[in-house]
Amino acid sequence: MKKTETGTRKIKSVSYAKWGYIFITPFFLTYFVFTLIPQFLTIYNSFFETYRDGLTQIGPNFVGLENYATLFAPDPSGTVLIFKYALNTLVMWFAGALPQFVIAMLLALFFTSYRLNIKGQSFFKTVIYMPNLIMAAAFSMLFFTLFSRVGPIQGLLESWGVLDHSFDFFAFRITVRGMVALMNFLMWFGNTTIVLMAGIMGIDQALFESATIDGANSVQVFFQVTMPLLMPIFVYCLITAMIGGIQMFDVPQVLTKGDGIPNGTTRTLVMYLNGYLRTKNYGMAGAISVIIFIITGVLGAIVYRMLSAQYKDSGRKHRERRGNVL
Amino acid sequence: MSKNISENTMGKIKLTILRVIVYAILIFLTFLCLFFFYLMIINATRSNAQLATGFSLLPKENFFVNLKNAWNDASINIPRGMLNSLIIALSAAILTTYFSALTAYGVHVYDFKGKRFVFTFIMAVMMIPAQVSALGFVQLMTKMNLLNSYIPLIIPSIAAPVVFFYMKQYMESVLPLDIIGAARVDGSSEFRTFNTIVLPIMKPALAVQMIFSFVSSWNNYFVPALLLDKAEMKTVPIMIAQLRSADYSKFDMGKVYMFILLAILPVLIVYIFLSKSIIKGVTAGSVKG
Amino acid sequence: MKKAIAILLAMLMIFSMAACTSKPADSGTPEPAEENQEQEQGKVFNIYAWNEEFKGFFEKYYNVPDGVTVNWIINPSDNGVYQQKLDEALLNQENAAADEKIDMFLAEADYIGKYVDSDYTMDISQIGFQNAPTMYDYTIKAASDQNGVCKGVSFQCCPAAVIYRKSIAKDVLGTDVPDEVQAALDSWEKFDAVAAEAKAKGYYMTASFAETFRAFSNNCTSPWVDANNNLQFDDQINAWIEQTEKYVENGYTLATAGVWDQEKTDQMFKTGKTMCFFGPAWYYNFCMTNAMDPENGCVGDWCIIQGPQAYFWGGTWLLAATGSDNTEMLKDIFETFTVNEDVCTKLVENENQYPNNTAVVEKFANDPNYGNTAILDGQNDIAAFSKLAGNIKWENHTNYDQILNEGLQNKLQEYFKGSVTKEEAMQNFYQLIRETYPAIKLP
Repeated sequence: MKKTETGTRKIKSVSYAKWGYIFITPFFLTYFVFTLIPQFLTIYNSFFETYRDGLTQIGPNFVGLENYATLFAPDPSGTVLIFKYALNTLVMWFAGALPQFVIAMLLALFFTSYRLNIKGQSFFKTVIYMPNLIMAAAFSMLFFTLFSRVGPIQGLLESWGVLDHSFDFFAFRITVRGMVALMNFLMWFGNTTIVLMAGIMGIDQALFESATIDGANSVQVFFQVTMPLLMPIFVYCLITAMIGGIQMFDVPQVLTKGDGIPNGTTRTLVMYLNGYLRTKNYGMAGAISVIIFIITGVLGAIVYRMLSAQYKDSGRKHRERRGNVL
Repeated sequence: MSKNISENTMGKIKLTILRVIVYAILIFLTFLCLFFFYLMIINATRSNAQLATGFSLLPKENFFVNLKNAWNDASINIPRGMLNSLIIALSAAILTTYFSALTAYGVHVYDFKGKRFVFTFIMAVMMIPAQVSALGFVQLMTKMNLLNSYIPLIIPSIAAPVVFFYMKQYMESVLPLDIIGAARVDGSSEFRTFNTIVLPIMKPALAVQMIFSFVSSWNNYFVPALLLDKAEMKTVPIMIAQLRSADYSKFDMGKVYMFILLAILPVLIVYIFLSKSIIKGVTAGSVKG
Repeated sequence: MKKAIAILLAMLMIFSMAACTSKPADSGTPEPAEENQEQEQGKVFNIYAWNEEFKGFFEKYYNVPDGVTVNWIINPSDNGVYQQKLDEALLNQENAAADEKIDMFLAEADYIGKYVDSDYTMDISQIGFQNAPTMYDYTIKAASDQNGVCKGVSFQCCPAAVIYRKSIAKDVLGTDVPDEVQAALDSWEKFDAVAAEAKAKGYYMTASFAETFRAFSNNCTSPWVDANNNLQFDDQINAWIEQTEKYVENGYTLATAGVWDQEKTDQMFKTGKTMCFFGPAWYYNFCMTNAMDPENGCVGDWCIIQGPQAYFWGGTWLLAATGSDNTEMLKDIFETFTVNEDVCTKLVENENQYPNNTAVVEKFANDPNYGNTAILDGQNDIAAFSKLAGNIKWENHTNYDQILNEGLQNKLQEYFKGSVTKEEAMQNFYQLIRETYPAIKLP
């Protein structure tokens, strides 16, 4: 199976081109109807005043960029809400992603170290990956009940005397954001560990050996051999994590019932969007969607460039490492 | 010589200490990953009154009472929700894997005009999340009279750029084109070749992507919540979120924990049986499902 | 291998078929063949509601005609979700297939006006229903549009009371007799003074910062928005804010617990430390299940009194949706839950409700053998509520009330908890209004 291409390449180009079109048609038809048209509709809506006042539909009236102006106008206290929510999203993402990447990197190194020879790897991997599959809404609901004022965690900490009875996990910015970050961390560090491990294992062992023979200690090996070679995978993980971060919704939405308590400090961009979608204020919802689209577009472009560079690479090189994307 | 030996023992001691630290970290993380779910399971065995007394690590005898209450709850019809989620997730998983493989095959095997563009296009849109077109999507579905229908939750999974990319990668590494040529010589039609020869070769990739699509569809909350409002159509995540805004005064907390447990149970069961291949899938793919 | 593929494809087909047919089949019943009834009546009866309360009564006390399927579409009312979903369905009502049309929907006092004043509800006299003299006037007024055309009925009347823990009242006031407790609590000044005494003895006066909200808000003398759509704060609302500030500061209440929160209802267990709760008859079933817990509850330790200020709270109206093809059934349902004395009697006896039927109410109020033992100490709560029911006036409501009432409580809770300043809380409240009702002009 491994000695694929070269000889056989020419066979395929006879007169089967129409089959290419036929095979990709379902994909593109679906994409056109369910993603592309909606995407244009979304952008189109953002230029209109269109909302509900009770049972009365107001608009749609063309207002040009007014929705965008409203979006970036400071409220009476001087806050531009979309910046505030973007910052919330960033802070909560970062608070979860920093430990996620540090721990994942450490674990990947531990697991791949011959010297350490960690036993029970498959057990640990199974456990740390598990939260990745948990329904975010359910996980968040679980945290809500566990950390509620009358929940078991509060009860435990009170009985230990750590917390006063008047304490409320949901009253402080740091605790609510902390819960969101903790959940995001738990849900993703296992995944990142496994991907980084695959990356490290893909590095030529001879490089490590020669570095060690040259007298490099493990820290030097890490920074001078492992990290540079791991960089593409690492950056890929980082950016996909950022794109995931921008979409952050389920966890803070369910945890705070959409309010982003306290004081809107845990409200994310998509929660903001969701609020307008629910009240059918499609003009404003459209404008927010476009902003999020632009942010993901920029990040996506970076991933795209990396992937296509990588892709050309792997295309040129022999492809026997089955299915290894990067 | 003796210096060497002592260095050696020093090294061994160092290694032992390092190992202890590493295992400590691993055990701590394991604890962190399991603790909340352990509490959930324990609390699902306790009655409302027992829960009001606070923290406990020991199970009580109310598991089946809570299960019965949750299962038969009038407002949150969890068995129906699980069935709905199952129908949607399974159909979406099958469509996604089949059509992604089909599309990838189309791009991989055939030469046609615009092929480069097709590939570039799919790569370019891969990272755009569903949220940014959700508004237009809901609007369009409303116009097409598809609110409270599973079609908008199932059919769009035919176009899944990430899965396409995975399949394409996989084909590149495992699919020998001479097999296709041989099939043609045998007079096999293109569809037949794909369905009977290519798909079996793709089985590992199909299985992995099927699991990932199933899980992500099962857990999906944002879009279904915008489209479904009939009680008998709702999926599990909507019901769980509804739990959050339910009137707690009417609620038995034991039942609430049971609902959460039921919501994640199917995925947990799948994971327990298939964790090895799932983790392998993550490793092989490096693309999140 | 071929087999596996065949199975896969077969599954694919089955599921895509299931997917395509799942919509029409969602009622779960096979399409019944057209039968000839006198009037073309629908076979599917769709009801929108935000909780299970009425559904429970409906299933127990109403006999659905043969061949009719009842669909309940239930969405939580929290954050206005119910209204949004209902609005969506009503706006789509004209285009919906006959069996998909809403026949009846439930509305709460906070937003009934929005639907009553629209064309989406129909004149109940058109379906042959006459309001009975036994119905409370305010329930009719609430369900009538500006021209006095009535669009629905309420199955309950919601005079609200102070529900107090006898044992705690005894400890704090030295008495647990309703009249004497009432005398000690008949004004807000006295209520505040007793709150201080309760605090001194280690009790809370109320278990939620928003517990007294409705007692104030339903006595407002001006609506939330004026004729020009300007937001305005009534003196009663300001009085509630002031009172709550004081209560939170002095520890008379729980700033962390909302009216519906578990932390509040945990206070109704035997071990609870709270003296007073505020609610109408529906509150028993709805909020006080912990008090009725067989193990840890405290049935019989409760009595009701008017308290400092008479008020009402909530109420569920059944509205007839324009376009319903089940008008006979609608009329039937209305009659069952308002005029039918038998059902209204059962609502009192079995469900602890206060029905919208003065004849039944009087029967219970004057019955020396009747007493509520499901939760109270055998007090005749119907008699007590009936004295309060006469006071209810229906005025100063707007279509925005739900979001404004609940939003104010939610946003101010953060202030009471100390997470934000009052100014910030108010800004958050205004922001909520901006997002929900762009048409309201803010100060």
